[in-house]
Amino acid sequence: MSLAAYAWRRLALGLVQVLAVVTGVFLLVQALPGDAAVALAGDNPDPGRIERIRAAMGLDRPAPERFAEWLAGLARLDLGESLVSGRPVAEFLLDGVGPTAVLAVLTLVLLLPISVLVGVLAALREGSALDRVLTSVSVGLHAIPEFALAVVLIAVFGVQLGWLPPTAVGVDLLAEPAALVLPLLVLLARPICSISRLVRAGMVDALASDYVRHARRLGIGERRVRLAHALPNALAPAVQQVARTADWLLGGVIVVEAVFVIPGLGTTLVDAVAGRDLPVVQGLAVVFAVTTVVVNLLADLVAFRLSPRAEVAA
Amino acid sequence: MKRVGVGALLIAAPLALALLGPLFVPEEATRHAPFVPGGLLGTDFVGRDTWHQVLAGGRTVVLVALLATAASYLVGVPYGVLAATARPRLVDEVLMRPLDLLLAVPSLLVLILVAAITGPGLPVLVAVVALVNFPDVARVARAAALEVAGRPALEAMRMQGESWWRTSVVYTGRSVLRTLAADLGVRLTGALYLVASASFLGVGVPPDAADWAVMVDRNRGGLFLQPWAVVVPAVLIVCLSVGVNLVFDRALRQVRT
Repeated sequence: MSLAAYAWRRLALGLVQVLAVVTGVFLLVQALPGDAAVALAGDNPDPGRIERIRAAMGLDRPAPERFAEWLAGLARLDLGESLVSGRPVAEFLLDGVGPTAVLAVLTLVLLLPISVLVGVLAALREGSALDRVLTSVSVGLHAIPEFALAVVLIAVFGVQLGWLPPTAVGVDLLAEPAALVLPLLVLLARPICSISRLVRAGMVDALASDYVRHARRLGIGERRVRLAHALPNALAPAVQQVARTADWLLGGVIVVEAVFVIPGLGTTLVDAVAGRDLPVVQGLAVVFAVTTVVVNLLADLVAFRLSPRAEVAA
Repeated sequence: MKRVGVGALLIAAPLALALLGPLFVPEEATRHAPFVPGGLLGTDFVGRDTWHQVLAGGRTVVLVALLATAASYLVGVPYGVLAATARPRLVDEVLMRPLDLLLAVPSLLVLILVAAITGPGLPVLVAVVALVNFPDVARVARAAALEVAGRPALEAMRMQGESWWRTSVVYTGRSVLRTLAADLGVRLTGALYLVASASFLGVGVPPDAADWAVMVDRNRGGLFLQPWAVVVPAVLIVCLSVGVNLVFDRALRQVRT
């Protein structure tokens, strides 16, 4: 199968995935106890008032009708309006995307060189003390939930030593880089471990492979054998994991946003679910599903370029 | 040799606290002002003794992670083995394709939505964490069973007219156990991670529950006044996750070599 045909097939599958996710989320939100009308009517509401709000919002119409209408809007890239505030959903998403994108891009920019370097270093000195220490640390660190690490770091560097701001409340993230240090450290901890381990494993395999032995026999310099022959093949398995990380970062890292009070997509999601704001939840689900599909597709194409003989899962 | 020492040491304290701690919590709890020193670790956000909360709070984290992992295996393994051994290959497609779709849903989105639908409760937390882990378990089980299903031994058993029960369950089931055991550590740490993160976000647990993750969340407001109420449970969770991971990694190496 040519690369282009493969890409088209994957795009079609992606569309089905997005539709399925959106339908699933619609059903789940339908099942939530209480709706936006109840949430808006406040404490101790009288049923008549809820009914009036519901009628005004069109929530009294049957669910399939509302879903069909929403889907038709989606085809025109119209995500509808928030039930709670009446603002367009797209505005909500734009507000949240800023901080999430800043965090995601910075994390990825730092993540790739560090994890590749750590993985390659460990692989080149396989079995040495350095390798054992790096491997143990990454196995251990990988399991820590972000909030626990974040709180320990905040307690030490934010409160005890006072070196860094403990949260990012009311801070413009780009204007004050100090507020970004702790969130970035927390976001980097797990991905560095998983990706560097994959790079290490791939590099160890590649260095022991026939083509590397052959390249050495041809008298190609060791540096070139490592960087130009072994490394690209070693990176292919790690690309999938990078994609999962990028997907996770772009989906709004709910926990990290909550700890450091960063108003990104994750915070938007938590608020929207609490307010039963169906259109916003739906819009977020669309964004998350589309990112997942696109990121995974890109990853498969990159993996295919890096190591053409590797099979791409259909 | 050294690593099993470190892992076991890290696990010992939190595990002992989690399992035995609830026995040492006094019945009559006296309330003080919030975030004041006193007792071993001071008081928490509603004035309860932090040390007693630490003693009582580990059980849910450990139990829910264990139960959720067990549940995801109970459902996922038969599901995967069935997909791999079913004679009409269409069954495989029908069973496994929906799981591909599930991949595009962020697990915390599912967690938050389901918890909002059903309200708090430990069974809900167990069910959701199991549900999130289930596709991975099913996929691993299917891959392992597919490899077994292609073996000549199984072909021979089929030709001898052995029953479906003996070929699929007894033979295939036993053969995939080893692969699944190797996978267990990853699932358990994954479940531990999800349970702690979910409790931290307030999913599935009451807001004043004695639970390490909930303590970290609720006591954050007093981080400047009484850091122990936040740091101690956080460090316990860190030790537990790191320890479990190191011990399972070590065990896995021993199995392989």
